[in-house]
Amino acid sequence: MNETASPKEVMAAVIAHGLEDGQWVEVGANLPVPRAGALLGHMTHGPNMTVMIAMTKAYLRDTPVIDEFEFITDVGAMRWAEAYYQHDQLLNNQRHRANGVFFCGGIQIDRYGNSNMIGIGDDYSKLKFRGPGPIGTTNAAAQNGTWHLVTNSHDARVLVDRVDYVSAVGYGRGEPNLRQDLGLPNGGPSSIITPMAVFGFDEETRSARLKSVHAGFTVDDVVANTGFEIIIPSEVPVTDGPTDEELTLLRTRIDAQGALRA
Amino acid sequence: MSGERASKIIEVAEAAAAVDDGMTISIGGFINSGHPMAIVRQLIKDGRRNLTVVGAASSGLETDLLIAAGVASHVISPYVGAEGFAGIGPAFRKAAQDGSLDIFELDEAHFYAGLRASAQRVPYNPWRAGVGTDLPKVNPKLKQYRDPINDELLIAVPAIEIDVCFLHASVSDIYGNVQHNGTRYGDIAMYNAASATYVSVEKVVSPEQIRADPLKTSIPGATGIIRAPFGSHPYSADGYYVPDAEHIKQYLAVATTWLKSGDRTDLDAYIEEYIVGPADHAEYLERIGIRTLLSINEY
Repeated sequence: MNETASPKEVMAAVIAHGLEDGQWVEVGANLPVPRAGALLGHMTHGPNMTVMIAMTKAYLRDTPVIDEFEFITDVGAMRWAEAYYQHDQLLNNQRHRANGVFFCGGIQIDRYGNSNMIGIGDDYSKLKFRGPGPIGTTNAAAQNGTWHLVTNSHDARVLVDRVDYVSAVGYGRGEPNLRQDLGLPNGGPSSIITPMAVFGFDEETRSARLKSVHAGFTVDDVVANTGFEIIIPSEVPVTDGPTDEELTLLRTRIDAQGALRA
Repeated sequence: MSGERASKIIEVAEAAAAVDDGMTISIGGFINSGHPMAIVRQLIKDGRRNLTVVGAASSGLETDLLIAAGVASHVISPYVGAEGFAGIGPAFRKAAQDGSLDIFELDEAHFYAGLRASAQRVPYNPWRAGVGTDLPKVNPKLKQYRDPINDELLIAVPAIEIDVCFLHASVSDIYGNVQHNGTRYGDIAMYNAASATYVSVEKVVSPEQIRADPLKTSIPGATGIIRAPFGSHPYSADGYYVPDAEHIKQYLAVATTWLKSGDRTDLDAYIEEYIVGPADHAEYLERIGIRTLLSINEY
Protein backbone atom coordinates (compact mmCIF):
# COMPACT_ATOMS: atom_id res chain seq x y z
CA MET A 1 0.00 0.00 0.00
CA ASN A 2 1.41 3.32 -1.05
CA GLU A 3 0.98 5.93 1.69
CA THR A 4 0.66 8.78 -0.79
CA ALA A 5 -2.44 7.50 -2.55
CA SER A 6 -5.34 9.98 -2.42
CA PRO A 7 -8.69 8.84 -0.94
CA LYS A 8 -10.17 8.58 -4.43
CA GLU A 9 -7.22 6.52 -5.63
CA VAL A 10 -7.82 4.18 -2.69
CA MET A 11 -11.49 3.93 -3.74
CA ALA A 12 -10.44 3.08 -7.30
CA ALA A 13 -8.15 0.34 -5.99
CA VAL A 14 -10.96 -1.10 -3.85
CA ILE A 15 -13.17 -1.24 -6.95
CA ALA A 16 -10.41 -2.81 -9.08
CA HIS A 17 -9.61 -5.45 -6.47
CA GLY A 18 -13.26 -6.51 -6.40
CA LEU A 19 -13.51 -7.06 -10.15
CA GLU A 20 -13.03 -10.42 -11.87
CA ASP A 21 -11.80 -11.12 -15.37
CA GLY A 22 -14.63 -11.73 -17.81
CA GLN A 23 -17.10 -9.37 -16.15
CA TRP A 24 -18.99 -6.61 -17.96
CA VAL A 25 -18.40 -3.15 -16.54
CA GLU A 26 -19.99 0.09 -17.64
CA VAL A 27 -17.88 3.17 -17.17
CA GLY A 28 -19.87 6.36 -16.77
CA ALA A 29 -18.02 9.29 -18.25
CA ASN A 30 -18.37 11.75 -15.40
CA LEU A 31 -17.83 9.25 -12.58
CA PRO A 32 -14.01 9.35 -12.35
CA VAL A 33 -13.71 6.94 -9.42
CA PRO A 34 -15.66 3.93 -10.80
CA ARG A 35 -14.14 4.69 -14.22
CA ALA A 36 -10.61 4.49 -12.83
CA GLY A 37 -11.43 1.39 -10.78
CA ALA A 38 -12.91 -0.45 -13.75
CA LEU A 39 -10.00 0.49 -16.01
CA LEU A 40 -7.48 -0.49 -13.32
CA GLY A 41 -9.11 -3.91 -13.01
CA HIS A 42 -9.12 -4.24 -16.80
CA MET A 43 -5.42 -3.30 -17.02
CA THR A 44 -4.16 -5.44 -14.16
CA HIS A 45 -6.19 -8.64 -14.32
CA GLY A 46 -9.09 -8.20 -16.75
CA PRO A 47 -8.02 -8.99 -20.33
CA ASN A 48 -11.46 -10.52 -20.99
CA MET A 49 -13.51 -7.85 -19.32
CA THR A 50 -16.12 -6.10 -21.47
CA VAL A 51 -15.56 -2.42 -20.81
CA MET A 52 -18.24 0.03 -21.92
CA ILE A 53 -16.74 3.49 -22.15
CA ALA A 54 -18.45 6.61 -23.54
CA MET A 55 -21.09 4.80 -25.64
CA THR A 56 -18.59 2.22 -26.97
CA LYS A 57 -17.41 -1.26 -26.11
CA ALA A 58 -13.63 -1.05 -25.95
CA TYR A 59 -10.42 -2.98 -25.30
CA LEU A 60 -7.94 -0.59 -23.72
CA ARG A 61 -5.02 -2.62 -22.34
CA ASP A 62 -2.77 -1.59 -25.27
CA THR A 63 -3.63 2.09 -24.97
CA PRO A 64 -0.72 4.12 -23.56
CA VAL A 65 -2.85 6.89 -22.01
CA ILE A 66 -6.63 6.69 -21.74
CA ASP A 67 -8.00 10.20 -22.12
CA GLU A 68 -10.42 11.53 -19.57
CA PHE A 69 -13.92 11.96 -20.96
CA GLU A 70 -15.96 14.85 -19.70
CA PHE A 71 -19.09 13.49 -21.38
CA ILE A 72 -20.60 10.06 -21.94
CA THR A 73 -21.33 11.27 -25.48
CA ASP A 74 -17.68 12.13 -26.24
CA VAL A 75 -16.99 10.90 -29.77
CA GLY A 76 -13.26 10.81 -29.01
CA ALA A 77 -13.94 7.27 -27.78
CA MET A 78 -14.83 6.29 -31.36
CA ARG A 79 -11.15 5.49 -31.94
CA TRP A 80 -11.46 2.50 -29.61
CA ALA A 81 -14.95 1.33 -30.46
CA GLU A 82 -15.35 -2.37 -31.12
CA ALA A 83 -19.10 -1.81 -30.92
CA TYR A 84 -21.42 1.12 -30.34
CA TYR A 85 -23.63 1.36 -27.33
CA GLN A 86 -27.12 1.90 -28.74
CA HIS A 87 -28.85 2.85 -25.58
CA ASP A 88 -32.29 1.37 -26.27
CA GLN A 89 -30.71 -1.91 -27.40
CA LEU A 90 -28.60 -2.10 -24.25
CA LEU A 91 -31.73 -1.72 -22.13
CA ASN A 92 -33.51 -4.36 -24.19
CA ASN A 93 -30.87 -6.88 -23.20
CA GLN A 94 -31.03 -7.67 -19.51
CA ARG A 95 -30.04 -11.33 -19.82
CA HIS A 96 -26.35 -10.47 -20.21
CA ARG A 97 -26.41 -8.34 -17.07
CA ALA A 98 -25.99 -11.36 -14.81
CA ASN A 99 -22.26 -11.04 -15.51
CA GLY A 100 -22.34 -7.29 -14.99
CA VAL A 101 -20.98 -5.08 -12.22
CA PHE A 102 -22.58 -1.75 -11.35
CA PHE A 103 -21.64 1.20 -9.15
CA CYS A 104 -24.64 3.07 -7.78
CA GLY A 105 -24.46 6.60 -6.42
CA GLY A 106 -27.09 8.53 -4.49
CA ILE A 107 -27.91 11.92 -3.03
CA GLN A 108 -28.72 9.77 0.02
CA ILE A 109 -27.58 6.21 0.82
CA ASP A 110 -28.90 4.45 3.91
CA ARG A 111 -27.67 1.78 6.34
CA TYR A 112 -29.56 -0.92 4.42
CA GLY A 113 -28.00 0.01 1.07
CA ASN A 114 -31.01 1.79 -0.39
CA SER A 115 -30.21 4.72 -2.68
CA ASN A 116 -32.17 7.92 -3.39
CA MET A 117 -31.67 9.92 -6.59
CA ILE A 118 -35.09 11.57 -6.55
CA GLY A 119 -34.96 14.33 -3.93
CA ILE A 120 -34.86 15.48 -0.32
CA GLY A 121 -38.01 16.43 1.59
CA ASP A 122 -41.15 14.83 3.01
CA ASP A 123 -43.52 16.30 0.40
CA TYR A 124 -42.72 14.89 -3.03
CA SER A 125 -44.69 17.65 -4.75
CA LYS A 126 -42.56 20.33 -3.03
CA LEU A 127 -39.11 18.83 -2.61
CA LYS A 128 -36.54 20.85 -0.66
CA PHE A 129 -33.88 19.61 -3.08
CA ARG A 130 -34.68 18.00 -6.40
CA GLY A 131 -32.19 15.26 -7.36
CA PRO A 132 -31.20 14.34 -10.89
CA GLY A 133 -33.73 11.50 -11.22
CA PRO A 134 -33.27 7.73 -11.11
CA ILE A 135 -31.29 7.71 -14.43
CA GLY A 136 -30.60 3.98 -14.79
CA THR A 137 -29.90 3.13 -11.17
CA THR A 138 -33.25 1.49 -10.41
CA ASN A 139 -32.74 -1.07 -13.14
CA ALA A 140 -28.99 -1.53 -12.98
CA ALA A 141 -29.11 -2.24 -9.24
CA ALA A 142 -31.73 -4.92 -9.89
CA GLN A 143 -30.26 -6.58 -12.96
CA ASN A 144 -26.48 -6.66 -12.58
CA GLY A 145 -25.01 -9.74 -10.93
CA THR A 146 -22.89 -7.59 -8.61
CA TRP A 147 -23.25 -4.01 -7.44
CA HIS A 148 -21.75 -1.56 -5.02
CA LEU A 149 -22.79 1.80 -3.64
CA VAL A 150 -20.21 4.53 -4.18
CA THR A 151 -20.15 8.10 -2.88
CA ASN A 152 -17.51 10.83 -3.06
CA SER A 153 -19.04 12.48 0.04
CA HIS A 154 -18.57 10.66 3.31
CA ASP A 155 -21.01 12.93 5.06
CA ALA A 156 -23.85 12.43 7.57
CA ARG A 157 -26.23 14.16 5.11
CA VAL A 158 -25.51 11.52 2.45
CA LEU A 159 -25.04 8.44 4.65
CA VAL A 160 -28.41 8.51 6.43
CA ASP A 161 -30.46 6.11 8.53
CA ARG A 162 -33.30 6.08 6.03
CA VAL A 163 -33.44 7.61 2.56
CA ASP A 164 -36.38 9.95 1.84
CA TYR A 165 -37.21 8.05 -1.37
CA VAL A 166 -35.93 4.64 -2.49
CA SER A 167 -35.02 4.80 -6.18
CA ALA A 168 -32.66 1.77 -6.08
CA VAL A 169 -33.59 -0.85 -3.50
CA GLY A 170 -30.89 -2.44 -1.36
CA TYR A 171 -32.09 -4.47 1.64
CA GLY A 172 -35.26 -2.47 2.39
CA ARG A 173 -35.40 -2.16 6.20
CA GLY A 174 -33.46 -5.37 6.69
CA GLU A 175 -36.40 -7.75 6.21
CA PRO A 176 -35.12 -11.32 5.71
CA ASN A 177 -35.47 -12.56 2.11
CA LEU A 178 -36.80 -9.21 0.87
CA ARG A 179 -35.01 -9.41 -2.46
CA GLN A 180 -36.06 -13.00 -3.10
CA ASP A 181 -39.66 -12.12 -2.22
CA LEU A 182 -39.58 -9.21 -4.68
CA GLY A 183 -38.10 -11.52 -7.33
CA LEU A 184 -34.96 -9.42 -7.81
CA PRO A 185 -32.27 -11.34 -9.69
CA ASN A 186 -29.21 -10.42 -7.56
CA GLY A 187 -28.52 -10.77 -3.86
CA GLY A 188 -28.20 -7.06 -3.08
CA PRO A 189 -25.40 -4.51 -2.77
CA SER A 190 -21.99 -5.85 -1.74
CA SER A 191 -20.54 -2.71 -0.21
CA ILE A 192 -20.60 1.05 0.29
CA ILE A 193 -17.32 2.58 -0.87
CA THR A 194 -16.52 6.12 0.37
CA PRO A 195 -13.42 8.34 0.50
CA MET A 196 -12.95 7.29 4.14
CA ALA A 197 -13.97 3.66 4.46
CA VAL A 198 -15.61 0.55 3.03
CA PHE A 199 -18.79 -0.92 4.53
CA GLY A 200 -20.14 -4.41 3.96
CA PHE A 201 -23.56 -5.60 5.15
CA ASP A 202 -24.27 -7.83 8.16
CA GLU A 203 -25.63 -11.23 7.08
CA GLU A 204 -28.29 -11.25 9.81
CA THR A 205 -29.54 -7.67 10.05
CA ARG A 206 -28.52 -6.52 6.53
CA SER A 207 -27.29 -3.28 8.13
CA ALA A 208 -23.99 -1.62 7.19
CA ARG A 209 -20.92 -3.06 8.92
CA LEU A 210 -17.52 -1.37 8.79
CA LYS A 211 -15.18 -3.48 6.67
CA SER A 212 -12.05 -1.32 6.47
CA VAL A 213 -10.90 2.25 7.00
CA HIS A 214 -8.58 3.99 4.55
CA ALA A 215 -5.06 4.94 5.68
CA GLY A 216 -5.08 8.37 7.30
CA PHE A 217 -8.54 7.94 8.86
CA THR A 218 -9.73 6.37 12.12
CA VAL A 219 -12.87 4.50 13.13
CA ASP A 220 -13.82 7.61 15.13
CA ASP A 221 -13.59 9.74 11.97
CA VAL A 222 -15.96 7.34 10.23
CA VAL A 223 -18.46 7.35 13.12
CA ALA A 224 -18.37 11.17 13.36
CA ASN A 225 -19.17 11.57 9.65
CA THR A 226 -21.80 8.86 9.23
CA GLY A 227 -25.49 9.52 9.77
CA PHE A 228 -26.45 5.93 10.58
CA GLU A 229 -25.56 3.49 13.34
CA ILE A 230 -22.61 1.38 12.18
CA ILE A 231 -21.86 -2.20 13.14
CA ILE A 232 -18.19 -2.05 14.14
CA PRO A 233 -16.27 -5.31 14.47
CA SER A 234 -13.55 -5.61 17.13
CA GLU A 235 -10.82 -5.50 14.49
CA VAL A 236 -11.11 -3.04 11.59
CA PRO A 237 -8.27 -3.39 9.07
CA VAL A 238 -6.74 -0.64 6.96
CA THR A 239 -8.17 -0.67 3.41
CA ASP A 240 -6.01 -2.36 0.77
CA GLY A 241 -5.18 0.67 -1.36
CA PRO A 242 -3.26 0.65 -4.63
CA THR A 243 0.07 -1.15 -4.86
CA ASP A 244 3.01 0.85 -6.21
CA GLU A 245 2.41 -0.71 -9.61
CA GLU A 246 -1.29 0.14 -9.51
CA LEU A 247 -0.62 3.70 -8.44
CA THR A 248 1.77 4.10 -11.37
CA LEU A 249 -0.86 2.74 -13.74
CA LEU A 250 -3.45 5.14 -12.33
CA ARG A 251 -1.21 8.18 -12.56
CA THR A 252 0.37 7.54 -15.94
CA ARG A 253 -2.24 5.75 -18.04
CA ILE A 254 -5.73 5.75 -16.47
CA ASP A 255 -5.96 9.06 -14.66
CA ALA A 256 -3.10 11.00 -16.23
CA GLN A 257 -5.14 14.22 -15.97
CA GLY A 258 -5.39 13.74 -12.19
CA ALA A 259 -9.14 13.71 -11.54
CA LEU A 260 -8.60 11.43 -8.53
CA ARG A 261 -5.96 13.70 -7.02
CA ALA A 262 -7.93 16.94 -7.42
CA MET B 1 -45.87 5.00 -65.14
CA SER B 2 -47.08 8.19 -63.59
CA GLY B 3 -46.47 10.28 -60.51
CA GLU B 4 -43.34 11.62 -58.94
CA ARG B 5 -41.63 10.65 -55.70
CA ALA B 6 -42.06 13.47 -53.20
CA SER B 7 -39.23 15.27 -51.50
CA LYS B 8 -39.43 15.31 -47.70
CA ILE B 9 -37.31 18.45 -47.34
CA ILE B 10 -39.08 21.14 -45.29
CA GLU B 11 -38.18 24.26 -43.30
CA VAL B 12 -37.72 24.34 -39.53
CA ALA B 13 -40.92 26.36 -39.10
CA GLU B 14 -42.96 23.75 -41.00
CA ALA B 15 -41.72 20.97 -38.72
CA ALA B 16 -42.49 22.98 -35.59
CA ALA B 17 -45.96 23.78 -36.97
CA ALA B 18 -46.83 20.09 -36.60
CA VAL B 19 -47.08 20.75 -32.86
CA ASP B 20 -50.16 22.14 -31.14
CA ASP B 21 -50.33 23.28 -27.53
CA GLY B 22 -50.93 20.36 -25.18
CA MET B 23 -49.29 17.71 -27.38
CA THR B 24 -46.63 15.20 -26.39
CA ILE B 25 -43.33 15.70 -28.20
CA SER B 26 -40.00 13.93 -27.89
CA ILE B 27 -36.51 15.32 -28.30
CA GLY B 28 -33.73 12.91 -29.30
CA GLY B 29 -30.02 12.93 -28.47
CA PHE B 30 -28.34 12.26 -25.13
CA ILE B 31 -27.20 14.78 -22.47
CA ASN B 32 -24.71 17.01 -24.32
CA SER B 33 -25.11 15.55 -27.81
CA GLY B 34 -27.48 15.15 -30.72
CA HIS B 35 -30.44 17.36 -29.79
CA PRO B 36 -32.41 18.99 -32.65
CA MET B 37 -31.84 22.50 -31.32
CA ALA B 38 -32.94 24.46 -34.39
CA ILE B 39 -36.39 22.91 -33.91
CA VAL B 40 -36.33 23.32 -30.11
CA ARG B 41 -35.66 27.05 -30.56
CA GLN B 42 -38.50 27.30 -33.10
CA LEU B 43 -40.96 25.75 -30.61
CA ILE B 44 -39.99 28.46 -28.13
CA LYS B 45 -40.28 31.21 -30.80
CA ASP B 46 -43.73 29.90 -31.68
CA GLY B 47 -44.80 30.29 -28.04
CA ARG B 48 -45.95 26.68 -27.65
CA ARG B 49 -47.45 25.96 -24.23
CA ASN B 50 -48.40 23.03 -22.03
CA LEU B 51 -46.31 20.47 -23.93
CA THR B 52 -45.42 17.10 -22.46
CA VAL B 53 -41.75 16.72 -23.33
CA VAL B 54 -40.33 13.22 -23.60
CA GLY B 55 -36.65 14.00 -23.14
CA ALA B 56 -33.97 11.42 -23.84
CA ALA B 57 -33.27 8.61 -21.36
CA SER B 58 -30.68 11.09 -20.19
CA SER B 59 -31.93 14.50 -21.26
CA GLY B 60 -29.70 17.48 -21.60
CA LEU B 61 -30.34 21.17 -21.16
CA GLU B 62 -32.62 21.25 -24.22
CA THR B 63 -35.33 19.96 -21.90
CA ASP B 64 -34.22 22.42 -19.23
CA LEU B 65 -34.51 25.25 -21.78
CA LEU B 66 -38.06 24.19 -22.75
CA ILE B 67 -38.99 24.33 -19.05
CA ALA B 68 -37.27 27.71 -18.61
CA ALA B 69 -39.10 29.13 -21.65
CA GLY B 70 -42.50 28.04 -20.33
CA VAL B 71 -43.07 25.52 -23.14
CA ALA B 72 -42.88 22.29 -21.13
CA SER B 73 -45.39 21.70 -18.34
CA HIS B 74 -44.81 17.93 -18.12
CA VAL B 75 -41.53 16.03 -18.47
CA ILE B 76 -41.05 12.30 -19.04
CA SER B 77 -37.35 11.58 -18.53
CA PRO B 78 -35.17 9.66 -16.05
CA TYR B 79 -32.58 12.49 -15.94
CA VAL B 80 -32.30 16.16 -16.85
CA GLY B 81 -28.82 17.65 -16.61
CA ALA B 82 -25.48 18.25 -18.28
CA GLU B 83 -23.00 15.88 -16.56
CA GLY B 84 -19.84 17.84 -15.68
CA PHE B 85 -21.40 21.21 -16.64
CA ALA B 86 -24.33 20.76 -14.23
CA GLY B 87 -25.38 17.60 -12.42
CA ILE B 88 -29.01 18.73 -12.46
CA GLY B 89 -30.63 21.15 -14.91
CA PRO B 90 -31.30 24.41 -13.03
CA ALA B 91 -34.72 25.14 -14.56
CA PHE B 92 -35.75 21.52 -14.08
CA ARG B 93 -34.73 21.76 -10.44
CA LYS B 94 -36.46 25.10 -9.87
CA ALA B 95 -39.72 24.04 -11.51
CA ALA B 96 -39.69 20.68 -9.69
CA GLN B 97 -39.10 22.34 -6.32
CA ASP B 98 -41.79 24.97 -7.01
CA GLY B 99 -44.25 22.22 -7.88
CA SER B 100 -44.89 23.94 -11.24
CA LEU B 101 -43.57 21.02 -13.31
CA ASP B 102 -45.20 17.62 -13.54
CA ILE B 103 -42.47 14.95 -13.68
CA PHE B 104 -43.18 11.41 -14.77
CA GLU B 105 -40.68 9.74 -12.44
CA LEU B 106 -39.07 6.65 -13.97
CA ASP B 107 -35.85 4.75 -14.66
CA GLU B 108 -34.30 4.57 -18.13
CA ALA B 109 -35.39 0.91 -18.41
CA HIS B 110 -38.99 1.99 -17.72
CA PHE B 111 -38.56 4.75 -20.28
CA TYR B 112 -37.78 2.26 -23.05
CA ALA B 113 -40.49 -0.13 -21.82
CA GLY B 114 -43.01 2.72 -22.18
CA LEU B 115 -41.76 3.64 -25.65
CA ARG B 116 -41.87 -0.04 -26.65
CA ALA B 117 -45.49 -0.30 -25.48
CA SER B 118 -46.42 2.68 -27.65
CA ALA B 119 -44.56 1.18 -30.62
CA GLN B 120 -46.40 -2.12 -30.10
CA ARG B 121 -49.76 -0.34 -29.59
CA VAL B 122 -50.39 -2.09 -26.28
CA PRO B 123 -51.34 -0.30 -23.03
CA TYR B 124 -48.16 -1.18 -21.14
CA ASN B 125 -44.96 -3.19 -21.12
CA PRO B 126 -43.91 -5.10 -18.01
CA TRP B 127 -40.58 -4.54 -16.28
CA ARG B 128 -38.99 -6.26 -13.30
CA ALA B 129 -36.81 -3.54 -11.78
CA GLY B 130 -38.62 -0.93 -9.71
CA VAL B 131 -40.49 -3.38 -7.50
CA GLY B 132 -39.81 -2.58 -3.85
CA THR B 133 -38.81 1.03 -4.63
CA ASP B 134 -40.77 4.24 -4.05
CA LEU B 135 -41.19 4.85 -7.80
CA PRO B 136 -44.79 3.48 -7.92
CA LYS B 137 -45.58 5.74 -4.93
CA VAL B 138 -44.23 8.97 -6.41
CA ASN B 139 -45.50 8.01 -9.89
CA PRO B 140 -48.81 6.12 -9.45
CA LYS B 141 -48.93 5.53 -13.22
CA LEU B 142 -46.21 2.89 -12.68
CA LYS B 143 -48.22 0.04 -11.23
CA GLN B 144 -46.78 -2.88 -9.30
CA TYR B 145 -48.75 -6.03 -10.17
CA ARG B 146 -48.64 -9.84 -10.30
CA ASP B 147 -48.20 -11.10 -13.84
CA PRO B 148 -50.84 -13.57 -15.09
CA ILE B 149 -48.28 -16.09 -16.42
CA ASN B 150 -45.97 -16.84 -13.48
CA ASP B 151 -47.52 -14.68 -10.74
CA GLU B 152 -44.28 -12.69 -10.48
CA LEU B 153 -44.14 -9.19 -9.04
CA LEU B 154 -43.57 -6.71 -11.89
CA ILE B 155 -44.05 -3.06 -12.81
CA ALA B 156 -46.56 -2.16 -15.54
CA VAL B 157 -45.12 0.80 -17.45
CA PRO B 158 -47.82 2.62 -19.43
CA ALA B 159 -47.26 3.30 -23.12
CA ILE B 160 -45.47 6.60 -23.76
CA GLU B 161 -47.35 7.74 -26.84
CA ILE B 162 -45.64 10.53 -28.77
CA ASP B 163 -47.47 12.86 -31.16
CA VAL B 164 -44.38 14.35 -32.76
CA CYS B 165 -40.76 13.19 -32.44
CA PHE B 166 -37.84 15.53 -33.24
CA LEU B 167 -34.35 14.15 -33.87
CA HIS B 168 -30.99 15.37 -35.15
CA ALA B 169 -28.80 13.06 -37.25
CA SER B 170 -25.85 13.04 -39.57
CA VAL B 171 -27.29 12.72 -43.09
CA SER B 172 -30.44 11.96 -45.06
CA ASP B 173 -31.51 11.87 -48.68
CA ILE B 174 -34.42 14.05 -49.77
CA TYR B 175 -36.77 11.07 -49.33
CA GLY B 176 -36.32 10.84 -45.58
CA ASN B 177 -33.85 7.94 -45.33
CA VAL B 178 -31.78 8.98 -42.33
CA GLN B 179 -28.34 7.71 -41.30
CA HIS B 180 -26.81 8.43 -37.91
CA ASN B 181 -23.06 8.59 -37.38
CA GLY B 182 -21.72 6.46 -34.52
CA THR B 183 -24.19 5.55 -31.82
CA ARG B 184 -27.86 6.46 -32.13
CA TYR B 185 -28.56 6.86 -28.39
CA GLY B 186 -32.31 6.13 -27.94
CA ASP B 187 -33.45 7.90 -31.11
CA ILE B 188 -34.85 4.78 -32.78
CA ALA B 189 -36.97 3.85 -29.76
CA MET B 190 -38.49 7.37 -29.84
CA TYR B 191 -39.13 7.16 -33.59
CA ASN B 192 -40.88 3.81 -33.15
CA ALA B 193 -43.13 5.28 -30.44
CA ALA B 194 -44.15 8.40 -32.41
CA SER B 195 -46.91 9.17 -34.92
CA ALA B 196 -44.66 11.56 -36.88
CA THR B 197 -40.89 12.13 -36.88
CA TYR B 198 -39.02 15.18 -38.13
CA VAL B 199 -35.24 14.91 -38.40
CA SER B 200 -32.80 17.78 -38.80
CA VAL B 201 -29.56 16.69 -40.46
CA GLU B 202 -26.09 18.09 -40.82
CA LYS B 203 -26.15 17.32 -44.54
CA VAL B 204 -28.57 16.17 -47.21
CA VAL B 205 -26.78 13.63 -49.41
CA SER B 206 -27.50 11.79 -52.63
CA PRO B 207 -29.72 8.69 -52.75
CA GLU B 208 -26.65 6.87 -54.12
CA GLN B 209 -24.72 7.64 -50.94
CA ILE B 210 -27.54 6.22 -48.80
CA ARG B 211 -27.78 3.11 -50.99
CA ALA B 212 -24.02 2.53 -50.67
CA ASP B 213 -24.63 1.36 -47.08
CA PRO B 214 -28.34 0.67 -46.54
CA LEU B 215 -27.67 -1.21 -43.31
CA LYS B 216 -26.63 2.13 -41.84
CA THR B 217 -30.06 3.66 -42.50
CA SER B 218 -31.45 4.19 -39.01
CA ILE B 219 -34.81 5.76 -39.95
CA PRO B 220 -36.24 4.50 -43.23
CA GLY B 221 -38.75 7.23 -43.83
CA ALA B 222 -38.92 10.32 -41.66
CA THR B 223 -42.03 12.48 -41.98
CA GLY B 224 -39.87 15.48 -42.81
CA ILE B 225 -36.19 16.37 -43.15
CA ILE B 226 -34.75 19.73 -42.16
CA ARG B 227 -31.41 20.90 -43.54
CA ALA B 228 -29.65 22.23 -40.46
CA PRO B 229 -25.85 22.36 -40.41
CA PHE B 230 -24.82 22.99 -36.79
CA GLY B 231 -28.43 22.11 -35.99
CA SER B 232 -27.48 20.60 -32.62
CA HIS B 233 -25.47 23.62 -31.43
CA PRO B 234 -24.56 24.20 -28.57
CA TYR B 235 -24.51 20.41 -28.19
CA SER B 236 -22.32 18.07 -30.22
CA ALA B 237 -23.15 16.16 -33.39
CA ASP B 238 -21.23 12.91 -33.70
CA GLY B 239 -18.54 13.26 -36.34
CA TYR B 240 -19.17 16.99 -36.93
CA TYR B 241 -18.53 19.11 -33.88
CA VAL B 242 -17.99 18.96 -30.12
CA PRO B 243 -20.13 20.76 -27.50
CA ASP B 244 -19.78 24.56 -27.34
CA ALA B 245 -18.81 24.60 -23.68
CA GLU B 246 -18.79 28.40 -23.38
CA HIS B 247 -22.31 28.73 -24.76
CA ILE B 248 -23.64 25.93 -22.54
CA LYS B 249 -22.08 27.66 -19.51
CA GLN B 250 -23.67 30.94 -20.59
CA TYR B 251 -27.13 29.32 -20.53
CA LEU B 252 -26.35 27.60 -17.23
CA ALA B 253 -25.32 30.89 -15.63
CA VAL B 254 -28.59 32.66 -16.49
CA ALA B 255 -30.76 29.64 -15.58
CA THR B 256 -28.89 29.23 -12.29
CA THR B 257 -29.50 32.89 -11.45
CA TRP B 258 -33.23 32.24 -11.95
CA LEU B 259 -33.02 29.14 -9.72
CA LYS B 260 -31.16 30.90 -6.90
CA SER B 261 -32.78 34.36 -6.92
CA GLY B 262 -36.04 33.96 -8.82
CA ASP B 263 -34.88 36.84 -11.07
CA ARG B 264 -35.53 36.01 -14.75
CA THR B 265 -33.92 39.13 -16.25
CA ASP B 266 -30.74 37.42 -17.49
CA LEU B 267 -32.62 34.30 -18.58
CA ASP B 268 -35.12 36.35 -20.59
CA ALA B 269 -32.27 38.33 -22.15
CA TYR B 270 -30.64 35.04 -23.22
CA ILE B 271 -33.91 33.81 -24.76
CA GLU B 272 -34.36 37.14 -26.57
CA GLU B 273 -30.77 37.20 -27.86
CA TYR B 274 -30.50 33.62 -29.10
CA ILE B 275 -34.04 32.34 -29.64
CA VAL B 276 -36.71 34.99 -30.12
CA GLY B 277 -34.47 37.59 -31.78
CA PRO B 278 -32.91 35.63 -34.66
CA ALA B 279 -35.24 35.37 -37.66
CA ASP B 280 -34.12 31.82 -38.48
CA HIS B 281 -31.44 29.17 -37.90
CA ALA B 282 -28.97 30.97 -40.17
CA GLU B 283 -29.31 34.19 -38.19
CA TYR B 284 -28.86 32.23 -34.96
CA LEU B 285 -25.59 30.85 -36.33
CA GLU B 286 -24.55 34.39 -37.30
CA ARG B 287 -25.07 35.48 -33.70
CA ILE B 288 -22.95 32.53 -32.49
CA GLY B 289 -20.28 33.58 -35.00
CA ILE B 290 -18.19 31.81 -37.59
CA ARG B 291 -15.06 31.73 -35.41
CA THR B 292 -16.87 29.93 -32.60
CA LEU B 293 -18.47 27.47 -35.01
CA LEU B 294 -15.13 26.68 -36.66
CA SER B 295 -13.46 26.22 -33.26
CA ILE B 296 -15.85 23.38 -32.31
CA ASN B 297 -15.98 21.89 -35.80
CA GLU B 298 -13.86 18.77 -35.32
CA TYR B 299 -14.32 14.99 -34.96
